[in-house]
Amino acid sequence: MYAAASGMAAQQTNLEIIADNLANADVAGFKGAAASFTDVNAGGTLGLGTAALGRHPLFEQGKLMKSGGPFDLAIDGAGFFRIEKDGATAYTRAGEFSRAADGSLQNADGWRLHGVRIPADAISASVDRAGRVLIDSATAKGHAVARIGLVTFNAPEGLRALGGTLFVATAVSGPPHAFAPREGRSSIAFGMLEKSNVSIVESMMQILTAQRAYEANAKGVQAADEMLRIANNLHRS
Amino acid sequence: MASAMCAARAQLETATHNLANVSSDGYRRAASHLRLSANGLVTTETREFEQGAIRHTGRSLDLALLGPGGFHVGSGVTRNGAFVSDRNGWLTDDRGRRVLGTRGPIAVDAQTTIGSDGEVKSGSHSVNRIPLPPGTRLQTGALEASNVNAIGETLEILTAQRAFETAQKVLVAIDEVRQKAVNDVVRLK
Repeated sequence: MYAAASGMAAQQTNLEIIADNLANADVAGFKGAAASFTDVNAGGTLGLGTAALGRHPLFEQGKLMKSGGPFDLAIDGAGFFRIEKDGATAYTRAGEFSRAADGSLQNADGWRLHGVRIPADAISASVDRAGRVLIDSATAKGHAVARIGLVTFNAPEGLRALGGTLFVATAVSGPPHAFAPREGRSSIAFGMLEKSNVSIVESMMQILTAQRAYEANAKGVQAADEMLRIANNLHRS
Repeated sequence: MASAMCAARAQLETATHNLANVSSDGYRRAASHLRLSANGLVTTETREFEQGAIRHTGRSLDLALLGPGGFHVGSGVTRNGAFVSDRNGWLTDDRGRRVLGTRGPIAVDAQTTIGSDGEVKSGSHSVNRIPLPPGTRLQTGALEASNVNAIGETLEILTAQRAFETAQKVLVAIDEVRQKAVNDVVRLK
């Protein structure tokens, strides 16, 4: 009975994660998650059911789409933007930035892109594939003022998700390694955004499977209950 | 008859354990077998090693075994090939145990590729090899799903339940016969 109950709990966890993925399927830069399960054995004997090993973010590339934002950036390849707010550091692939009054690039929640300042005299600014921030001013055209750096982790699956699209480093993920984007490997796409990597069709299929598995496990609990009832009735006759 | 009821319970436990693991990648279903012995029915359990379905994931470090065998992780063996790189760049399973190749733990980086013969390459040169039994191949970017069939297990549960009921009915019948014998003997006197 407890094995079946553990199966129900596992499918519940599974459904919660799929629902969260689906809810964020339209959020740019969102990374879906998956739960993994394993069977539980005590000293080689069977019958203890299943347990969730945890929730892992999945970092497959989302599709890049042309966007209308003022300073949208997308990473074509592996890596994260390093962003800062009030002394805290986080990592993201959501590149919906805009130019703030102080020249920094900020997202909607006030997180600043690390190491980029656009001079006040810049009339327009753009970013090339290698992450160089180029500005046009009254005196110069196409002048590089900064270069956007990216970071990578040895174990990105170990990053902790802070809400939808932000991640922070943990002991499991290891420290960040900075690298410069370049054409061919992790380049920057200006005027583009990375869509979430959640596939709605796949998620719907996962929901159906999880639901059926939940029902089957509930049947197991029912059967065990029924057997106990029969055993209890033995005495009456 | 009591042993038949115990056997039905054991059968139910195996089936519910299998069902609980319908989403555990690499899980091998357990099968219970009944045998008649001097002490009544005895159940024994074995593992069913038929291949599970291959599920495409697209992650380069996910490995599925096509054929018998297993991955050596730490001191154990697993068929769940959901591997990741840990903070020091070693290939580990989802419990943090290092995957062992023929040349010890396997170091991975962004350039690492794993071939269908188990050869681990960094760029173009071979650095390690995942040992595979003859005839077994690896598929990268995929996982082997649990080989539990939910319909089969639900049937097992129903069968166990009915067997339990039957054994109970027979037990009650035997009880009634004895009761009658006892009462009739008293009346004869």
